Amino acid sequence: MTASVTRVTVTELCEREGVSQTVVVRLVEHDIARPIAGSSAEDWVFDATGAQWVYKAVRLHRDLELDWVAVSMLVDLLRQRERLDRENRRLKQRLARFLTQD
Amino acid sequence: MEFKDYYEILGVAPEAETSDIKAAYRRLARKYHPDLNPGEEAEEKFKEVAEAWEVLKDDTRRAEYDELRRYGGQRRQEFEPPPGWQSSARPDFQHFSGDFSDFFNSIFGGGFREEEVAREFGFRGQDVEIEMPVFLEETIKDSVKPVHYEIPVFEGGTVRPLRKSLNVTVPAGVTDGERIRVKGQGAPGQGKGPAGDLYLHIRLVPHPLFDVEGHNLLVTVPIAPWEAALGVKVTVPTLSGKINLTVAPGSQSGQKLRVKGKGLVGKTGKGDLYAVLKVVMPRSATPEVRALWESLAEKTDFDPRANWGTRS
Repeated sequence: MTASVTRVTVTELCEREGVSQTVVVRLVEHDIARPIAGSSAEDWVFDATGAQWVYKAVRLHRDLELDWVAVSMLVDLLRQRERLDRENRRLKQRLARFLTQD
Repeated sequence: MEFKDYYEILGVAPEAETSDIKAAYRRLARKYHPDLNPGEEAEEKFKEVAEAWEVLKDDTRRAEYDELRRYGGQRRQEFEPPPGWQSSARPDFQHFSGDFSDFFNSIFGGGFREEEVAREFGFRGQDVEIEMPVFLEETIKDSVKPVHYEIPVFEGGTVRPLRKSLNVTVPAGVTDGERIRVKGQGAPGQGKGPAGDLYLHIRLVPHPLFDVEGHNLLVTVPIAPWEAALGVKVTVPTLSGKINLTVAPGSQSGQKLRVKGKGLVGKTGKGDLYAVLKVVMPRSATPEVRALWESLAEKTDFDPRANWGTRS
């Protein structure tokens, strides 16, 4: 069978993590995730990348008992680290093309 | 089953105050949290720590656990709860779905077996996340890719891995590090619970010729010093074919030539291809060629290190 890719609705997100919509609204306010569609919170839709950050944020909030400000700072740094890791890999690859191999 | 010494797991004394246990939990949780430390080892360690805290933070559970520890804590490997044991603490169904150990479930599961609880309440199946290598060529249009992975299946009180194979349509324009979701293809739910999802973490495979910068592509074009000096027409590969480029006379190493619309597919249109010039020297020179270089050196007053300044 061939499966296709789907987005994540706010309802699915809340059910998966056992959180209320208010929590998702707060996460969006703290810029942890941005809905890619939906004019009001009830019909928000997230892409899978955004949803993954929401799951992470909820786990960090619950397991480490951090408040949302701390969680948003942490998620920001984690996201930055992921981006820098990718950039570092790419630049190393580009650099290798310019260095002469003996 | 194995008796779990929750005090040892958290590194605290059995008579420690709850506040000290909490401090120990927070320190270890921060150290091993799977979202901060990738890898299975940290995840296992974190689960143990979380389970220990779940028991020791609650006065009723802790008192019962202490009693059992006195009763059976010495025979570590073959621990069984006393016959007819029933915890008076409220069973925590939220954690039945494989997060906690058999030891925890046998003591604090309220006499329910996991499968009974699952039938009654239904648990959503776990999500599964795997890395998916994608070739650059596959990102310029929707492409169907086979995926092979394992999902945990609960059967007869134990968890066993089940291999799954699936074809997934990867949408055009996926980027490195992006996640895509395949609904309902994670672990099956228990009871009335829905199945989990499959998340694919996209990893763009390094290409032998092209580098990626956002939605633009870079290709390194080696040219001879005289080609850089006099200009040349070169045929440059693109992801979908070839293209002819004119290198202007007097070009520099590192200089970029832009080919519009020959990059990757982006969410807001196509990126560009940049041909990056790299001046390469021949490895060896015949006496005749060497004489030509010498004559060039004599006739040119070019100083490539002019901008180093005169201070040094």
